[in-house]
Amino acid sequence: MSALLTYQAALLARSQRWLAPVILYAVFLAVGVQSGQPVLDSLAYAAAALLPVAAWLVRICVSNEPPAARSCSAAAAGPGRAHLASLLAAFLAASALGALAVLVVTVMSDGASTNGRLPVPRVPAGAAGLIAMLVSALLGTAVGALTNWPLLRSPAKSVPTMLLAALLLLVTTGSPAQSVLTDLTTGSREGSVPWPLGALAGAVVAAVAAGWAACAMSSRRG
Amino acid sequence: MVRLGGVGRRYGVRGPWVLRGVDLGVRAGALVRVEGANGSGKSTLLRLLAGIDAPSEGRVTGRPRTAYVPERFPAAMPFTAIGYLTHMARIHGVARGAASRGAAARSAERWLERFGAAEYARTPLSELSKGSSQKVAVAQALLAAPDLLVLDEAWTGLDAPARAELDRAVAERTAAGGAVAFVDHDPGRLAGAVDETYGVVGTGPGEAERVPRALRIRRGWSRSSPHPQAAPPLGALMRGRHVVIETRGPRGAELPAPVAAAATVVTDAPEGAIRFTVPESRSDLVLRELLTAGPPWHVVTVTRAPAGAPVPPQAPAQAPTEGRGR
Repeated sequence: MSALLTYQAALLARSQRWLAPVILYAVFLAVGVQSGQPVLDSLAYAAAALLPVAAWLVRICVSNEPPAARSCSAAAAGPGRAHLASLLAAFLAASALGALAVLVVTVMSDGASTNGRLPVPRVPAGAAGLIAMLVSALLGTAVGALTNWPLLRSPAKSVPTMLLAALLLLVTTGSPAQSVLTDLTTGSREGSVPWPLGALAGAVVAAVAAGWAACAMSSRRG
Repeated sequence: MVRLGGVGRRYGVRGPWVLRGVDLGVRAGALVRVEGANGSGKSTLLRLLAGIDAPSEGRVTGRPRTAYVPERFPAAMPFTAIGYLTHMARIHGVARGAASRGAAARSAERWLERFGAAEYARTPLSELSKGSSQKVAVAQALLAAPDLLVLDEAWTGLDAPARAELDRAVAERTAAGGAVAFVDHDPGRLAGAVDETYGVVGTGPGEAERVPRALRIRRGWSRSSPHPQAAPPLGALMRGRHVVIETRGPRGAELPAPVAAAATVVTDAPEGAIRFTVPESRSDLVLRELLTAGPPWHVVTVTRAPAGAPVPPQAPAQAPTEGRGR
């Protein structure tokens, strides 16, 4: 698995297709996060933006290998494992991007509640932000896995479905992503750092199920 | 080593069957040819054998270490040839551990050299010509020394020396006990060494119900093939050279099974020895089996069979519809 993952990560890094989503994410942060804003609010904003970016990275990773090369690696390692490696490469890239964003946002922001009266310690806030990023990266990977090859193959269906699903996950009550964002903004208002571990567990379950479905289908759709 | 049992494949839940009712086993050391018209499902059959596609019905048992070569390899990937091959060597599990990168790269360079593409080792894949890309695809599979090598018209696009080198590499693979399954448009390809030929043909009672199946149409180089139009021309049959081996075994011992499978014209020789003929592509395997048998056999002589000498069929001709009704 590590050989496959190295291969997929090298493909992603050298393809330079990651530039577009990463630059878009940076622009999004530059517009929405300013220094001196309450730390938990800014982290919620940054985590929300990571979800569609993670889905986009999955789309890049699963389509990075030309079909002929995919056949070669699928014969060598099994199609399911080959596909899992591409999903994992995208998830790790999104997680790394999220961790970097948490670092930047935590340093830039103000360690205070929304109204500025209550102190919010930066380090625990950053840890809560990392959990939120992980939830976004997991759910983004799940969305990307379910809305790209091998489950949806035409870009006309895949891209709108992917973006719509990412948006719905952020706003629908009951979704782990929405629950994390609510926790962070509520914590920011009340001046207390939340620990959204339940949402993290939900996101892990969703990502494992979606990844399993996509990998199982990878040998069944041509 | 890999067996398809009642295997069928179709794309989508209600799509037409591309292939159905396939029963096919590939033994270790076997060279299997798949024939059929364009679009008959040959490639699908190879993809099922290689484990790239899962069957829609039936089951595939056994999954040896497998490598696959596609017909075209237009791999616009951001790697150099050597970079891609090093990744593939590690995915194949050829080289593990800390020193693996160097070992994988050396093995990749050796294979590129064999196919006359050493000068392209540091060239980005996207800048390679069609033929050079195909050499990378072939090297990717061969450096794995796979137990099962699946070649989907892998010769297409290669220059003549590289095609001959691939023929040799296939013979080396089978001699080392690996199985090779291939499709090629040249009916004479490896004709002297093919163990079994499967034809992918439609066999419904009417045109509408024609469902492609894979049938064994020939075994060995049986010249009384019931499908004369599918049989290779006589020249191709004679091209496969043969070797006569005389060997003496332990008292009362039977020839080891892999030797008996490859041997034809088995006769008694003086002093209790046995003389038989094997295709030259099998001679290394046969000698290895004899010398490593327990207790080992003594090899008395090895001579090349006179060119043009008729070689009797290895096995009686198989009925074209073995096990499957029309």
